[in-house]
Amino acid sequence: MYSVTKESENLPSGVDRFISAISRRGFRRGWTGFIILFFLGFVVIPTVFILTYIFTDWSGIQTKVLSDSVLTGQIVDSIVASFEIAGIVTVIDFLVGLPMAWIMVRKEFPGKRYIDTLIDMPLAVPTAALGFSSAIFFAVTKPGLTSPLGLGLVSSPFLLIILLHVVFSYPYMVRSLSAILEQIDVTYETAGRTLGAARFTAARTITLPLFRAGLVTGIILCFARSLSETGGTVIALASMRSANGFNTGPTLINFLKGQYGSGDANALPALAFVSILLIIAALVLLVVLKVVVMKVRLPAGKVWPKWERILSRGWVPKSKDGISIAFLVIFVLLPAFFIFTYVFTATSGGAGSWNLFYESLGISFLVAGVVTVVDLLLGIPLALYIARGGKARIPAALDVLVNVPLIVPTAALGFSLGFFWVGPKPATGGIALVLVIFAHIAFTYPLVVRNVAGAVEEIDPAFEETARTLGAKPVQAFRRVLYPMIKSSILAGSIMAFTRSLGETGATLAVANVNTAPVYIVNLIKNPPFDYYTAAVACIVLIFVSYIFMLALRFVTRKRRAA
Amino acid sequence: MPDVSLRGLSKHYGSIKAADNLSLDVRDGEYLCLLGPTGAGKTTALRLVSGLIRPDSGKVFLNGRDVTRLEPEERKAVLLSQTYSLFPQLTVAENILFGPDIKGASEEAKERLLADMLDLVRLTKRPDALPRELSGGMQQRTALARALASGADVLLLDEPLRALDARLRISLRHELRSLAKSLNITTIHVTHDQDEALVMADRIAVIRNGSVLQVGTPGEVFDEPISPFVANFVGQSNFVVGRLVKKGAFSEVRCENDMVIQARGCDCHEGQEVVVGVKVGNTEIIREGEGFFAGRIERVLFEGRNIYLDLDAGPMGPFSAKVPSWRLGKLNVGDTVQIRWSADKANVFPMPDIGLKEELRVE
Repeated sequence: MYSVTKESENLPSGVDRFISAISRRGFRRGWTGFIILFFLGFVVIPTVFILTYIFTDWSGIQTKVLSDSVLTGQIVDSIVASFEIAGIVTVIDFLVGLPMAWIMVRKEFPGKRYIDTLIDMPLAVPTAALGFSSAIFFAVTKPGLTSPLGLGLVSSPFLLIILLHVVFSYPYMVRSLSAILEQIDVTYETAGRTLGAARFTAARTITLPLFRAGLVTGIILCFARSLSETGGTVIALASMRSANGFNTGPTLINFLKGQYGSGDANALPALAFVSILLIIAALVLLVVLKVVVMKVRLPAGKVWPKWERILSRGWVPKSKDGISIAFLVIFVLLPAFFIFTYVFTATSGGAGSWNLFYESLGISFLVAGVVTVVDLLLGIPLALYIARGGKARIPAALDVLVNVPLIVPTAALGFSLGFFWVGPKPATGGIALVLVIFAHIAFTYPLVVRNVAGAVEEIDPAFEETARTLGAKPVQAFRRVLYPMIKSSILAGSIMAFTRSLGETGATLAVANVNTAPVYIVNLIKNPPFDYYTAAVACIVLIFVSYIFMLALRFVTRKRRAA
Repeated sequence: MPDVSLRGLSKHYGSIKAADNLSLDVRDGEYLCLLGPTGAGKTTALRLVSGLIRPDSGKVFLNGRDVTRLEPEERKAVLLSQTYSLFPQLTVAENILFGPDIKGASEEAKERLLADMLDLVRLTKRPDALPRELSGGMQQRTALARALASGADVLLLDEPLRALDARLRISLRHELRSLAKSLNITTIHVTHDQDEALVMADRIAVIRNGSVLQVGTPGEVFDEPISPFVANFVGQSNFVVGRLVKKGAFSEVRCENDMVIQARGCDCHEGQEVVVGVKVGNTEIIREGEGFFAGRIERVLFEGRNIYLDLDAGPMGPFSAKVPSWRLGKLNVGDTVQIRWSADKANVFPMPDIGLKEELRVE
């Protein structure tokens, strides 16, 4: 019969022996165990470790925090503000994001491609830069920090933070909604219309109820991002002429961390308390949102033919499209890129040091690079385990746990993680850098796992199984069959992890004193001697760097859709 | 030389028994069809042979060697899934050479093998095509060539014709079988289509609830089913319940309304409750003369070559029959006709413990 002489069997090379060794069942089991332990021990547990503070030092919380009504009030106010802002931002995103998603998926018009790119642009800008840019555009700013072209209208910190958070969360909502809208067959709506429904009625009663999955993703993404954002918020508040001591949860953590760092031991229980409240509230919210969005019924049964017919024709749909695009320009794009105008109008010179900035940029790249490599090496195996585990209990549980670091605000995550590894004292030197890397791994790891697991779930396991029966060892089946099919998702996941790490402020500030680029920018704006000009130019450099990665991401995902 | 032997295999998923003390012997070079309804455990059996799942108990022998604990890649038993699983990013040639590549074959050997394989499956003109550019039949042949090129001793086909349209499916039956036979490769072909199994198999193994009910040539399984289920699943049957009143070369069975019908001889004892099964195609419909009992035609379906009749036989229950289509127009809805069969075409089974209805249930 047909068979081939196996030369490698006579002369096993080093590579073959290595492949054989790691293909053994025992090794594979051990490796899976190691990956799960890593995930639990380095990602999940450190993320929520601070919760144990309730048991170890409840008396501290009681005597130092709860008995101090001013401090307690400040903490509660900041967390309430965080949730109010996140809620309002999510609602705004949904209201203006839905028509925009509709335009992007269901309409064809010249220049659509460019609008498509424009929507993603704010994702390319690190939030620290966005905060600076939006503040100059909208807010009544500090003397010495005004741009002649800025609106200078907003003097309420609450409103400014809402406007800022809309800028960076809007793309997430539009993307999630249009992803699901693309999956919904337009023939449902067509069928509805041939049965006599007006365009608006058909869209509302037929397509909208099919939206839930995308809606949950979009809402959770926007909510979590808004709740978590630190760098941009700190900068925006610091840029205002008067912020009246306004704080969100993450900025309060940042503030208390500063207090604790300068020797105020009483700040520690307060820090722990804010972090605990934020983590618990975020986790509860994740569950509640999932249940509410999946369970609550939209009023799809009732129909008001006359009114909906009016809404379906003439000026209403046209102005709706116009308003959607105007919103995108005025409330998203202009504030995001306004910083470019500032550089041309402001005067240069200040206390900022370019050498320090370049050094911080180097640290940022080092951290993001190491984080991405670790995410890939240890994230892909977990993704495979989750995606191929089916309904078995452990993979299903891990699938849920992976979301935890995504929803926990990164400032709380950073503080918790630092507390887990080295205790309350801020780490310094080399350990600080390692801790920052750990923290960035914690919140970027799920991005890689999610992306890769999603891609693997789409692929029929029969491909790998067939490869196995054809003689491929598990590693070879992955390398030759599965890997080429999921390559673009792996790349997409790693670029997301890289850019998120590059732009992160909250976790870095909370975990240790390491001067990454966003942290450096925050310090230039927040602490005297101020140097707004250098900060602005640094922002622009950061924008360009991130934008290049963004383009790469688009290129990669575009290719995946074509394949 | 490469024979397959399954010994008492069991595999449970929670409370579901996907394989329940399953035993089966496949001979060297044999084309065996594993036939059963959906959920009978056919695919589980294939996956146990290929090593993709491990049994809770029992053993798998390939070529006389116990391979129960071996990994799939060490078994030389290639699985072809329903959709063939051609690797979409590889060309026809690269797909075919996947196995030899993995094993580190020399360029020269691979070239020779590829030429042979392309020749064998008549794809010499398309080595650089991608799988999605090929027709369903070509994809199947590529998958087959890939399996053969890997040096497989045993071919495991999981519903290999299912993804094809009806006409192609029928023409490929012959092609697939003759290819496997000409290479003398041992093949296990899983299907739920009894026509396919009857046409293609050397032997058929009927499987249900994770165990093999009967193994035999298509003729044996069709004509001498060992249970009402097999009688009904391999060629539809009519059933009559009664008591055995006379044993011998022919059996006589008295039904509830005292009608006596005839069937083959059997091992049951007199007085025992029995089920008589007769194939739809062996049920004769006569307008004059004496049948076993009368029936009224309820429905007439024209199938081209045959006419399919549904009859109401009163106390004997519903009956079906298949008659040649020249009788179209002579048998009409509402006619009362006589039903009979030749005694050597009807089988007698002991009444199943679980009852006839449950016995015949197809999940």
